[in-house]
Amino acid sequence: MRDRLAAALKASRADYTEIRVERTWSSAVTFRGRRLETATVSEDEGGFVRVLNQGYGWGIASFTSLDELPAMVIRANQLSRAVRLDEPIRLAQTAPQVAAAALDLDGDVRGVPLAEKKRLLEAYNGAMLGVSDRVVDTQASYQDEVSEVWYVNSEGTALSQLRPEVVLSGTAIARRDGTIEKGLESIGLRKGWRSVHGLEERFRTVAGRAVDLLDAPRVKGGAYPVILDNELAGVFVHEAFGHLSEADFVYQSPQAREMMTLGRRFGKPVLNVGDNGAAPGLRGTLPFDDEGTPTQDTPLIKNGILVGRLHSRETAAKLGERPTGNARAISFRHPPIVRMTNTYIAPGRGSLEDLIKDISLGVYACGAFGGQTMLENFSFTAAYGHMIRDGHVAELVKDVVLAGNLFQTLDRIDHIAGDFTWNQMGGGCGKGGQFPLPVTEGAPHVRIEEALVGGDVPA
Amino acid sequence: MTNVVDRLLDATRRRVDGADALWRREERTAVAFESGRLKTAGVTEEAGINLRVLAGGRVGVAGTTAATPDIQALVDRARASAELGEPLDLAFPPVSRLPDIPTHFDTAAGASLERLIRMGRTLVERLAREGCQVNVAVEREIAETTVGNSAGARGGYRATGVAVTADLLRIAGDDVLMVYDQYTGADLPADADLDALARSIERRLEPALTVVEPPEGALPVVFTPTGLAAVLLPLEHALSGKTVLQGTSPLAGKVGEALFDAGLSITDDPLAPARAASRPLDDECIASRTTALVERGVVRRFVYDLETAARAGTYTTGHGRRGIFGKPRIAYTNLIVGSGPDVVGARHAVPLQLGGGLLDGIDDGLLVDDLIGVGQGNVIGGAFSHPVALAYRVRRGEIAGRVKDAAVAGNAYDLLKRIGGFGTDGRWLGSHWSPSLLLEGVSVARR
Repeated sequence: MRDRLAAALKASRADYTEIRVERTWSSAVTFRGRRLETATVSEDEGGFVRVLNQGYGWGIASFTSLDELPAMVIRANQLSRAVRLDEPIRLAQTAPQVAAAALDLDGDVRGVPLAEKKRLLEAYNGAMLGVSDRVVDTQASYQDEVSEVWYVNSEGTALSQLRPEVVLSGTAIARRDGTIEKGLESIGLRKGWRSVHGLEERFRTVAGRAVDLLDAPRVKGGAYPVILDNELAGVFVHEAFGHLSEADFVYQSPQAREMMTLGRRFGKPVLNVGDNGAAPGLRGTLPFDDEGTPTQDTPLIKNGILVGRLHSRETAAKLGERPTGNARAISFRHPPIVRMTNTYIAPGRGSLEDLIKDISLGVYACGAFGGQTMLENFSFTAAYGHMIRDGHVAELVKDVVLAGNLFQTLDRIDHIAGDFTWNQMGGGCGKGGQFPLPVTEGAPHVRIEEALVGGDVPA
Repeated sequence: MTNVVDRLLDATRRRVDGADALWRREERTAVAFESGRLKTAGVTEEAGINLRVLAGGRVGVAGTTAATPDIQALVDRARASAELGEPLDLAFPPVSRLPDIPTHFDTAAGASLERLIRMGRTLVERLAREGCQVNVAVEREIAETTVGNSAGARGGYRATGVAVTADLLRIAGDDVLMVYDQYTGADLPADADLDALARSIERRLEPALTVVEPPEGALPVVFTPTGLAAVLLPLEHALSGKTVLQGTSPLAGKVGEALFDAGLSITDDPLAPARAASRPLDDECIASRTTALVERGVVRRFVYDLETAARAGTYTTGHGRRGIFGKPRIAYTNLIVGSGPDVVGARHAVPLQLGGGLLDGIDDGLLVDDLIGVGQGNVIGGAFSHPVALAYRVRRGEIAGRVKDAAVAGNAYDLLKRIGGFGTDGRWLGSHWSPSLLLEGVSVARR
């Protein structure tokens, strides 16, 4: 493969050329209720070429037929030359990297019979179904893959990477008459077969919660003091701040740059946020990004002050900053764009009890069904919640969706506990038509003095 | 290359009890303007085959994107998949007569890169204004599909699809406003379509420049065709035969019952002219036809693919959709809410009319155009709760300005029992067509 890529690079007539080739072996098992839906093994392969010429824009080509590689290099160059630009695109300098990085496969999934994967998932699915007669339906899935990725560019970088991944997820649907609730478990690891055993209890827990939610009232809408558990706090930092720190949002807009000026205060001194693509063993972890830049730990907010942002080579050059290794593509079908890796709120001090004790009426929002940002405003949807009454965790409530505002919500974080955890979830992040990108989020318990919770309000 | 389906089905003969297969090739050309300037031009070419077999009374699937697929290996993988599969009495449908609908437009297929760039540039120039960033993307897809099965059914078609999206980002101090709109169709947009797109963005932008306090309480809320997505999503889940089969559809067993406002009709129409989701047959060789799901408030029919129909003891409605990997699943084609597009609507060139004529009787309420986090809650239960992305306060029948930091919540099944009004502003949004709806008693919370 290396020779093929080197020959294609050499034949390119563009000023800058990069080629990425991926070959992915994957297997998947899914259950719906008691029934197996599918058990399959798949092979996917393809390539991606991106070129740049002085005075012209990007030309890109992606393809599933690798025999087409030389033709696609020519095609990408033609496309680039169709895009005339007054202001040239520059790429920040990076040292050429030559490496073969094989992550630990942790029990190579390619060697495990599909029947064994089916048995494993059947046990987890059965754990959910066994909780109660009220659990009327489940969706359970097991997916693994091992992908080989080759990357070369005309500046001398030549990388090959071997990446494992395994994702387990379970949704339990509980029903009583017209009331239907769900519980969701999701585990995503950049690991292999050895790491997916002994998880029955986690699946049982979410199914039990779906049943409990049948009797829970909907949360009343309004502004409350809110405590986020580790999982939801992770989703929160991803949506509330992570996307705004992606430099492709600001690099072409003076107004956006003004709004996101380094040195601006976004939170109280307790708030420290970063993104670490080099953290060992996480799903968003990779030695190099999809432009061949080494990943790193990038501080974004330090003691409440904006101190950094996430870059590709293009955004870094434009803003006169250094690339951070955050140019990522979900597959050979897409170009790299600025993305998060493992995003975190750094631990503070104390425990959940310390955060709760002086709240007379509030919401403890737990677990995550998801989140979405529209830049200034964002949502994060809890899996469930509890009311906080007189300093104690009280009754279960459902449909807890928080409405956030970049400038208000971050600034109202007034207490961060010391109980940090990484949340190794499946699924992933979506941006620019690229979903799901493997990312991890990490956080301790976080308290927001006041946040808007959607829900019924008195007429 | 299209006879790969024949070769594949030949290879399965005597090795399995039955099979069907899909081959699809797609070529996409895209140009992207960022902050008003053309930055990128790209192509994507992808081809692959998906095989499903029935072996020993069990179903298995396999797929590959390999350029020269090892057909025997693919059959082996599908058989191995079937060994683990559930028993199923699956009958592959025989040859049927296909409707003659145009899916391939030469003007779209033949459009040069320069033409796509010109279309994008026209929009960028039209939308440019001080203090705003304009992003425009133009994408053209040419696809070819062949499906076949061991009962002798064969079908295939070529299709084109065009999508033009534009968004305008305005940052003023700490206020971030984003408005967007799109054109989608099987053919290139006419000048009038691009004009409608630009005008739809302008009509959202102008009243949004004033920010007002949100109202609070159980209020009348008008949902635009884009804003309506959150309310319709629970019904889309509930009308799927899969959800019914699994016992989680609130609509199961309710066929023939009037559960919704008598004005509400929902139709799936794979034959809609010049729409990107239209097709003569589905991915399981079933000839396309229109399916009435809800008719004047009465639940009529759920949608099925072959496998779900076989398990449910009913017939497929032609809603099988398959990718290269995995097995077919149920998917809608074009979903039409209300009476459907007239001749003008079908041509798409209708700019958004904010409010759709529904604001007159509203003393204090909300007009919701876009919500955040749609699809992330307990969708199947019908409950929704979302912060607003783009919404306006309505006072005494007029738009008073944009509201921020408000959240709307309700239950789709309750709210759609009585619809306060259907707008006169029906338009296509991707594969959905709907007018604005006025719903009463939607919870609006604010800080």
